[in-house]
Amino acid sequence: MAETEKPRISDADMLARFQGSKKRPPCSDTLGMTLVEVEQDAMRIRMDFDVPQMFANPTGAVQGGFISAMLDEAMSTCVIIASNVTMTAPTLEMKTSFLRRLMPGAASVEARILKLGKSAAFMEAECFGPEGELVAKATATAIPMLFKRLG
Amino acid sequence: MSFDARTYWQDILGNPGRRPPATAFVNFELIGFDPEAGWCEAAFLAPSQAANPGGNVQGGFVTAMLDEVMSVAGSIVQGGPAMSPTLQMTTSFIRPVPMGVRLIGRGQVVRQGRAAIFTEGWLRNESGDLLAQATASCIPRAMDWS
Repeated sequence: MAETEKPRISDADMLARFQGSKKRPPCSDTLGMTLVEVEQDAMRIRMDFDVPQMFANPTGAVQGGFISAMLDEAMSTCVIIASNVTMTAPTLEMKTSFLRRLMPGAASVEARILKLGKSAAFMEAECFGPEGELVAKATATAIPMLFKRLG
Repeated sequence: MSFDARTYWQDILGNPGRRPPATAFVNFELIGFDPEAGWCEAAFLAPSQAANPGGNVQGGFVTAMLDEVMSVAGSIVQGGPAMSPTLQMTTSFIRPVPMGVRLIGRGQVVRQGRAAIFTEGWLRNESGDLLAQATASCIPRAMDWS
């Protein structure tokens, strides 16, 4: 079956499908991730995170790489959802700007796809702190690949 | 009394009990460093909690390992107790990074300016295959923690 034949489901159903998934990868649980918004037409999603203390650097703030991990998580999931769960997209390159400190605890990430092509995908994402302040911003490129199914 | 960079950083970096949580999470194990030349090498082992759906290390955690050795390089080069908060970092994911495999990270200073420090880093497997590389810009910040 070609991926274009796969019927679309509503944003609410897509959200429920991911929230109820029993096959979440370990990295999603480690980051305390919850998918909270899906807009398939706009190719945009929003995730909430509960960042654990174990990601703290010597100052007590979240080490930058783990903020990149949250941004990567959201951008990668965004490709899966925008492709109607037919494709995954290993990240080729990712650039993160760290605007402010983020302390462990509540954070959220908004990710969107700029272009989902056959041979390349371009994404961007923003990470917000508990007061909605912009903490970090990332852009990334990835190669979309067909995959079997995510449970 | 002058600052003995080698002893100071060896005490911090070489002592597993003094690793901050993020450093411990990626199982940072010091291999070597040079405060004058501004480089640091460390081994890493990705914990199973860092796996992506493909069973490899999720890219952000790869970035976290590189950030560790690159930030150390940017810190030890400053000639005193210091940190080097990262402003911007770009990572290229050259090959999948496997779980449960000893990884070798190297971070080094490209240029140390008064207001900015530029670093680069590489992550390889024990056979020497390049798995990921990164560049970053950071700011020098003297610290009074001991």
